[in-house]
Amino acid sequence: MTLIVRRIASSVVLLFAVSVLSFTVLELAPGDFFAEMQADARIGSQTVDGLRAQYGLTQSPIVRYWQWVRSFVRGDLGFSLAHRAPVSSVIWARAANTLLLTIPAMVVTWCLALPLGIWIARHRNRWIDRVSSGVTSTLVAMPDLLVALLLLLLALRTGLFPTGGMWSPGAEELGYWARLLDLGRHAFLPLLALIATTLPSVVRHVRASVIEAAEAPAVQAARGYGIARSRITSRYVLPLAANPLVSLAGLSIATLLSTSLLIEVVMSWPGLGPLLVEALLAKDVHVVLSASMLASALLVFGNLAADLTLYAVDPRIRV
Amino acid sequence: MRLIGSILLVALLSGLSASAAVPTPVAPGEDVLVERATSGSHGGRLVVALRAEPRTLNPAAAADAPSREVIGRMTGDLIHIDRATQATESALASQWKRSADGREYTLALRKGIRFSDGHAFDADDVVFTFRVLLDERTGAPQRDLLIVGGQPIRVAKVDEYTVKVTLSQPYAAAERLFDSIAILPQHLLNDAYEKGAMGQIWSVATPAKSIAGLGPYRLKEYVAGQRLVLERNPYYWKTDSAKRRLPYIDELVFLFTGNEDAQVIRFQSGDSDVLNRASADNFAVLARDQAANRFQLKDLGPSLEYNFLFFNQNDLSGKNLPQVAAKQQWFGDLGFRRAVSRAIDREGIARLVYRGRAVPLWGNVSPGNRLWINASLPRLARSVSEARGLLKASGFSWRQDGQLLDRQGRPVAFTIVTSSTSAQRTEMATLIQADLKELGMDVQVVPLEFRALVDRVFQSFDYDASILGLGGGDADPNGEMNVWLSSGSNHLWRLGQQTPATSWEAEIDRLMETQLVTLDSRERKRLYDRVQTIVAEQLPFIFLAAPHILVGARADLGNFQPSVLDHYTLWNVERMFFRPELRSQRR
Amino acid sequence: MKRVGLIASVLAGLHLLVLLAGFAAPYDPVEQTRTLPFAPPSRLHFVDKDGAFHLRPFVYALTTDPDNFDAYIEDTTLPFPVQLMVAGSTYSVLPGVESRLHLFGVETPARISLLGTDGFGRDVFSRLLHGGRISIGAGLLATLCALLVGLGFGTLAGFFGGRVDSAVMRLADLFMAVPWLYLLFAVRAALPLHLDTRATFLLLVAVLGIVGWARPARLIRGIVLSARERTYVTAARGFGAEAPYLLRRHILPQTLGVVLTQAGLLVPQYILAEVTLSFLGLGVGEPTPSWGAMLGTLQQYSVLTSYWWMFTPAVALVAVAIAYYALTSMVHERMRLVAS
Repeated sequence: MTLIVRRIASSVVLLFAVSVLSFTVLELAPGDFFAEMQADARIGSQTVDGLRAQYGLTQSPIVRYWQWVRSFVRGDLGFSLAHRAPVSSVIWARAANTLLLTIPAMVVTWCLALPLGIWIARHRNRWIDRVSSGVTSTLVAMPDLLVALLLLLLALRTGLFPTGGMWSPGAEELGYWARLLDLGRHAFLPLLALIATTLPSVVRHVRASVIEAAEAPAVQAARGYGIARSRITSRYVLPLAANPLVSLAGLSIATLLSTSLLIEVVMSWPGLGPLLVEALLAKDVHVVLSASMLASALLVFGNLAADLTLYAVDPRIRV
Repeated sequence: MRLIGSILLVALLSGLSASAAVPTPVAPGEDVLVERATSGSHGGRLVVALRAEPRTLNPAAAADAPSREVIGRMTGDLIHIDRATQATESALASQWKRSADGREYTLALRKGIRFSDGHAFDADDVVFTFRVLLDERTGAPQRDLLIVGGQPIRVAKVDEYTVKVTLSQPYAAAERLFDSIAILPQHLLNDAYEKGAMGQIWSVATPAKSIAGLGPYRLKEYVAGQRLVLERNPYYWKTDSAKRRLPYIDELVFLFTGNEDAQVIRFQSGDSDVLNRASADNFAVLARDQAANRFQLKDLGPSLEYNFLFFNQNDLSGKNLPQVAAKQQWFGDLGFRRAVSRAIDREGIARLVYRGRAVPLWGNVSPGNRLWINASLPRLARSVSEARGLLKASGFSWRQDGQLLDRQGRPVAFTIVTSSTSAQRTEMATLIQADLKELGMDVQVVPLEFRALVDRVFQSFDYDASILGLGGGDADPNGEMNVWLSSGSNHLWRLGQQTPATSWEAEIDRLMETQLVTLDSRERKRLYDRVQTIVAEQLPFIFLAAPHILVGARADLGNFQPSVLDHYTLWNVERMFFRPELRSQRR
Repeated sequence: MKRVGLIASVLAGLHLLVLLAGFAAPYDPVEQTRTLPFAPPSRLHFVDKDGAFHLRPFVYALTTDPDNFDAYIEDTTLPFPVQLMVAGSTYSVLPGVESRLHLFGVETPARISLLGTDGFGRDVFSRLLHGGRISIGAGLLATLCALLVGLGFGTLAGFFGGRVDSAVMRLADLFMAVPWLYLLFAVRAALPLHLDTRATFLLLVAVLGIVGWARPARLIRGIVLSARERTYVTAARGFGAEAPYLLRRHILPQTLGVVLTQAGLLVPQYILAEVTLSFLGLGVGEPTPSWGAMLGTLQQYSVLTSYWWMFTPAVALVAVAIAYYALTSMVHERMRLVAS
């Protein structure tokens, strides 16, 4: 119990540190939100300065950061300059859209990768292993941006899938099942892109840890005893292989909000990704801070869950 | 090319009737504007893809293009500039008179008009609008446009349907002031204004009932991150020649995409119906697909925008920028700037960056601005040898390996900053880098994030040279006052001057201020021609090219009359309709 | 065993080719040919228009189709045979040593673009070879930084354990949590403009490498932790061995396996990171080529759909990555077999 309390305490410190770091780096870059207006020849610089003062951008960075922290601990995520609305009204819906994509992707990835990895490990060094190694290497080596762009091209050329967005215009007038179908068609390509970018490395890790676990003396002994292979796999190999895999799964959870960023931007999926990129470019400070806090909170949770599971599952670890 | 699924979807959608807003019949006392040359059929939904999400629906707070694009369809103005003729026409003001001294305008408003929520429109709304916009607390971007001769204009109510506008000095383009100044509903906004909350009101998530305007459409719904839907304004004050109330199209849907390429992809796949301003590359891709996909593409010729390279000639005495200050010795030399201008391959820029869909520029007015361009400006062809001669005359020399040296023997090297989001300007910089290499100059290209670029150019002055673009507002030179007046906030090469630093800048000041108050258009043209000549001689900006306006729409969209003035495609959206005889061909 | 040697020599061959880019490439990578933007790869002919067969392949000069921007027509009147060991543009073999010898080329006005040209008419094949220097170099530099820092922190955490360990691991969490790639934007914007763009790029790459210490550190820490508990280490300690001796003699050699495999995995990863940096506009500046900068043009829809030869840096990228991964997994296998 004290362990959990200590971990939570250090996580809070971590979140605080993340926010300070994000804020500092944002402030380092010259320019602020209203810089865009300044470049407009029709707007005078007095108007821009007036707006800056009105939204508190002329105060010192420390004051502004402190104000944000105070409102954050009260649950108010700040005010978005770009949307002229509170950040919370903008961010939760977007985060939900992202999770709508990443959670199914993660489930599918792991459901595919585990049996696939075990199977490949069993046929190690035969042609199946070689082929899969080549395929996974290729996919891992490709930048996910490129994968997303290629899929977009595919959508365009074949016309089978929509080229962006989450719903078709007019979708609100459809019935429940038709809406679900519409959502599915829009989500298919981003899901495919996500799975294509995460599956290969998970498969490789599963394969590697299964192979390593299969070499353990305990497993060799069990084999020597003539125990059935399936029993060996489930009772001996998997628990041993679980250690690195649980960490990896924890990392998958931890990055639920960030892996899909580039893919969302390319495929116009209205998730946290495009919001964050736009806010970064527009220097909409509160949105960037809140989004990084959200992602970091999830990271901390994912790591914590992984570590706790590890203590429970792996017999070798002593707390 | 579409799967069963999408055919089913389309069948489902087309089977549904149009949404609730039906045009009300024209009331007897209503003073509508009859568009004489317009006829068409009602119905349909038009989908437009926006490059970014609109930030607000508040006309007094919107400065970004997507917000203005949406707001423009929901609001009406007093006097409108017809984008096709570029001349003013009556809108909410049915007629107006100018006093003899040119300082007073009396506008007669249309009677019996109602806002999109049914509330009556009268002079109180007009007076309220200008009070809000001119109030410094509101921080409206339009405020500076309404300041003439250093004084804000005064708008006063004469009677229920008449207002009087008073200017502190005669102003030539006064009528054009009113274009796109949206008239706000006092009955909905008065409370917010009194409380001082005008800047925060009417965000995109506002419920549709709280927003009203005098434009052809009103807000129906907003789905965060995806789209914004407008429905027809049942009380819109324009009718077609058969006295049927406009607009023809029932709904206007704005989809949010991330960037221009996504916008083009949506158009090509049929998700959106109108493409507002494509780049030349994307236009070429679409042109190849044109026949198969049944859309109409139009190249409208040069826009009003001008792209230019300029050097940092700011007064750096208060700043700690020794390296830039040392280079200003070159930047301030007219021979140096002329040499750079002679060495630049403008034809190459037009061909490689814009695929030929641009015109090279030697002055600040593009050929797209037919009324104001000074056609007699010289167009000097590219000549590296002439450029070298100019450099030699200014005291530069060359080292053994070809590197250019200045009078003190320092190698000439500088950086051009561009915006990382503008691929075209970065490409122009790369071409110029190679051109100037032939003169022995060592040029680096640094793409910067836009806000960082603006900060350097406007605030810190920590840059050597930059490529930017301006123009694209109204054709009238008064829109450029902030650029050419030495005290103007967009006088980019030397900002923050109290008095003009050079005699030619002083002369430009004099000419611009004179043309501002001159009412004779021929005299104004003469004065502005002289400004263009001085600018082309002194080269504070080295002009590069003006891109064409390239637009597209579905083939069955009738009354699609794009123009080179903003808003290029939707400025006459109330008159656009779907041609039934061509509709079956779509998809 | 043989296969390891094969993969290793393929990889070495790729690196050598990139190193000798000046010689192997027919043209200067920054030379623009403004009349030939986006020209498709040159077609090598063996049979001329009269039907005669030539042993030595030849190309035709290209002329532009006046109606189309990027449609080219071959001028079949004059064949230009491909020649070996030609004199072309100057390049430097070593600092101070220049040469004009190129592996192959054709006489002007024809051009041999094996992989076509880009938007400024620059030869893609030449840019691919020269760009490999930047991209692979960036990968190696970043990996070096990440491993050095990771080794330092990982050993620290694993060896001393306890408070030091948890402090270092929390620090590692912090470094993994912050979205560095996007905050590099801000770092770039804050840097002075007067630095050479190459220097700025190297700085960014080093920073990217340094902040990536967290993952290798975690793995190394694991190894050091378990190595520390090995019987021979406790025995050595019992004999009075000091920390530096223990580290040098017993513990650090244990980490060699992990360090090598991490290196093999990180190099392609950081080459990919260079691609992402260039996509985001933080790459080495124009006109210097790099694989990331070349792939960056694919972000434009028109390039993506019209000019397939602009994808070739991706193929090179994937090939290099696969070679590294294959080598790494083979070395990993060998070391496991040796260890068990």
